[in-house]
Amino acid sequence: MNNYSLVLIIILYLAVLFYIAFFAERKKKSKWVNNPYVYTLSLAVYCSAWTYYGSIGIAANSGIDFLPIYLGPVIAAPLWIVLLRKIIRISKQHKISSIADFISLRYGNHRFLGALVTLVCLFGTLPYISLQLKAVSETFAIIADETSYISTSILDDSTFYVALLLAVFATFFGTQNTDASEKHKGIIASVAFESVLKLLFFLVIGIYITFYLFDGTTDIYSKISNTENFNSLIKLNGIEDSFNWFFMTGLSFIAIFLLPRQFQVSVLENIREKHLKKAIWMFPLYLLLFNVFVIFIAWAGKLTFGNAVNAEYYTLLLPLENGNSFLATLVFLGGFSAVISMVVVSTLALSIMVSNNLIIPYGFLDKFIKNQPERNSKYIKNIRRISIFTIIITAYFFYVSFSRELSLYSIGLISFVIIAQLAPSFFIGLYWNRGSSKAAIIGIIVGILIVLYTLVLPFTVQAYTGSDDFVQYGLRGISALKPHALFGIDFLSPPAHAFFWSMSANILCYLIFSLTSKGHYRERNYAEMFVDIRNFSTLQDSALVWKGEAYVADIKNVLVRFLGETKANRALSIFFTKYKLSPDTQIADARLINFSEKLLTGSIGSASAKILIASVVKEEQISLVEVLKILEESKEHIVSNKVLLEKSNELAELSSKLKTANQELITKDKQKDEFLDTVAHELKTPITGIRAATELLMDDIDDMPMEMKQQFLKNILQDSDRLGRLINNILDFEKLETGRLNLDIERYDIQNTMKKAMSSISHIASKKEIRLINRNPHSFKLNYDEDRILQVLTNLLSNAMKFCKEKTGEITIDYKLGNQFVEISVSDNGKGIPSEDHDFIFEKFYQSKHQNTIKPHGSGLGLAITKQIVQKHNGKIWAEKGLKKGAKLVFTLPFE
Amino acid sequence: MKQYCYGSTVFFLFLDFQFLMKKRHEQKLVVLSIALFLVFNVPFLLVFNSDGQLFGIPVFYFSIFSIWILSIVISYIVLKRHYE
Repeated sequence: MNNYSLVLIIILYLAVLFYIAFFAERKKKSKWVNNPYVYTLSLAVYCSAWTYYGSIGIAANSGIDFLPIYLGPVIAAPLWIVLLRKIIRISKQHKISSIADFISLRYGNHRFLGALVTLVCLFGTLPYISLQLKAVSETFAIIADETSYISTSILDDSTFYVALLLAVFATFFGTQNTDASEKHKGIIASVAFESVLKLLFFLVIGIYITFYLFDGTTDIYSKISNTENFNSLIKLNGIEDSFNWFFMTGLSFIAIFLLPRQFQVSVLENIREKHLKKAIWMFPLYLLLFNVFVIFIAWAGKLTFGNAVNAEYYTLLLPLENGNSFLATLVFLGGFSAVISMVVVSTLALSIMVSNNLIIPYGFLDKFIKNQPERNSKYIKNIRRISIFTIIITAYFFYVSFSRELSLYSIGLISFVIIAQLAPSFFIGLYWNRGSSKAAIIGIIVGILIVLYTLVLPFTVQAYTGSDDFVQYGLRGISALKPHALFGIDFLSPPAHAFFWSMSANILCYLIFSLTSKGHYRERNYAEMFVDIRNFSTLQDSALVWKGEAYVADIKNVLVRFLGETKANRALSIFFTKYKLSPDTQIADARLINFSEKLLTGSIGSASAKILIASVVKEEQISLVEVLKILEESKEHIVSNKVLLEKSNELAELSSKLKTANQELITKDKQKDEFLDTVAHELKTPITGIRAATELLMDDIDDMPMEMKQQFLKNILQDSDRLGRLINNILDFEKLETGRLNLDIERYDIQNTMKKAMSSISHIASKKEIRLINRNPHSFKLNYDEDRILQVLTNLLSNAMKFCKEKTGEITIDYKLGNQFVEISVSDNGKGIPSEDHDFIFEKFYQSKHQNTIKPHGSGLGLAITKQIVQKHNGKIWAEKGLKKGAKLVFTLPFE
Repeated sequence: MKQYCYGSTVFFLFLDFQFLMKKRHEQKLVVLSIALFLVFNVPFLLVFNSDGQLFGIPVFYFSIFSIWILSIVISYIVLKRHYE
């Protein structure tokens, strides 16, 4: 492809990125920017050019070694729910803006520690950035198809301009705010976009090579499996190899947390904790997709080119070889995306560290105190801008002078090993409150020295002198000091070897020196805050123990210098309202000190903030014991608050229970009144009948014809019967409802009981010419109170009879055996139960509206009593719904 | 009344920092991580260290990718069911 058109494509692509970042900055609040998918994709900044090109090189040359770099993060991802969330919470609470801030704050705002962490990060990341530039330059050369393309001077080298453009991008979107703990949504949105592109293009090329150039995975496998040494590419080769594997997994596990760019995207740019929910499973999925085609691309390349070309660029060379320069350009853009996101995020993170933990605390503080607020914020931004340019340009020169000879893989691993030196003070410090700053510093320095000796020095010496005597024979020929085989441990790969020795020494130093010295009280205070974040986050600003003399006016002065008049005033008024202090408070307390330090941390770093505030207040020394005692007390305070809260919740629950109970009582009372009313009414009806008939009889006893007298007497008898029945029913019902009825349970045959019930009503049935059918003639024995069940059956049968037409009526009685219960049903072909009555027919005195036309026959208690009896037997009763014709009432009786 | 107000602020603070997931379900993920660590390292890894292929993918890669997918599915299910 033409050199110029390629440059044009690159510029167009960068313009698109600028546009996306710009759009995201403008629409900060939109859901396009604030969602878990963008967060997950931004985590994919982990996949740099090293993943995009380097993996294939390793897969082709040394086999499985590329995998552990992704397995570490896969192991780490489920842990995020505990670990990363804790880190995010601490960072948000303290307005932390970089990993250097995080570590220095944990050890009591330690200035030197912050600077040391910054240096380690710089040292570890610069070569890594230069590795990305190397990838850009080499892929550019491949795509541009210029054999003559060998840059002779910097101004001639397009990589230099690409680097400058990236610096402009990072500067523009990375330094909009003085407060570095603010989110950089523009950069994150562009990173997410690039993550989509790089994965997409990588998958496209993978599918193209595997299924278009070759005939699927089995085809590639069967071809490659005949080649020499193939078995060493698909397996672990012995125990030594598995040690390498183990250390590499550990290394990448650490890297996913600690690489400055990873810390930036996963912790500092996290908008909401709950985005972790998606990231925990989606990020491993992303990595998996990125790794699926690696081996096939590598083998396809190997089959096509043999060992003639650099295996890292098979993805570009294979489509080019087949004349598909469009695909090759896509792949190039994917790789370019990987580079841009890595370089931009890394430089952003580094520039914040360099300005807040190195330059400002070690030189610019005095100047800032004298300056005007506007100029201060300009200064801070400029320091960051210059840092960004310096970092990228340094990385470029590093690339020009060093990394041309080295593979992507080896530089990447050196970076990982260097950054890993922060792990003990970071991880152990999160969970162990005795870890001290002195120990952290010693651990890191010792670790770095070992890495220098075992990893960096050998390749530098080799690059300069061209001889590998140093590696072969060790320092001054002492074989125990061979850099790649210290004390005879010669079976590990150089990075694994360096990682093993440096990490062991680092951890031991950290642990030992933490225990030998007594910690400083301030340091211990922060340690407690970090380790027990759940309790201390509720304490908020009171979590810092501070004693001494300070004035609000002095502190306000400092705040104004960095935040400006309006912002400082607003922050203070928020503070006063929050703690219910009067706005003209003169004397500052520990909470204000802590609050102001936090406010400044975002702009100038935690160490400088501490120094600045300390310069305007008079702090008294407190003993460690005192600090611990105060912290303990405040924690107890929290716990007692928690207990109080629980108690009050319990009380609230109890009172709501009482309320419902009271409500129930009121309803019961109402029901009782209604019951009495109905009973009285029901009793009155027959009595009125009796009284009227008697009166008539008494008045006209002589004149009345005999038949009429008999009729009246019959009426009296019927009404008395009805009265008697009603009273019996009421007594029964009362007994059942109050639970005073004892069942006389024995073993009976249900068939017998059913027959008895039927015979008791059979004469009425035959009078009305209603057919009674017993569907199930089998007998079955179970335990129940026969008299009561007889009552139930008679009730149901006579109920059914009431609704049946004469002559055509048909009543069916049936029973089925269920699982541990008998289901007995009585159905008729009468007019059925109206659907609105279904739920109420078992209530006392409920009589359907539709009965108004006819005089009710029963007492209104029959079904209610039936229900009580069945329930007393632990059974259930209901009316079947959805029948087309007639009604069906069913009840169950349990048996063992 | 004042006491009550204080109580309620404390309560809201707790809400703010309350874990979105019960500890037991969180620990499921921690255990998953430990299991992955064991499976992805020697000596366990040597179980898959054999010749041969499945669908053109060597057994070693195939096993690692399968465990990888399994871990994604497990985390997905645990988080889906127990978050919030």
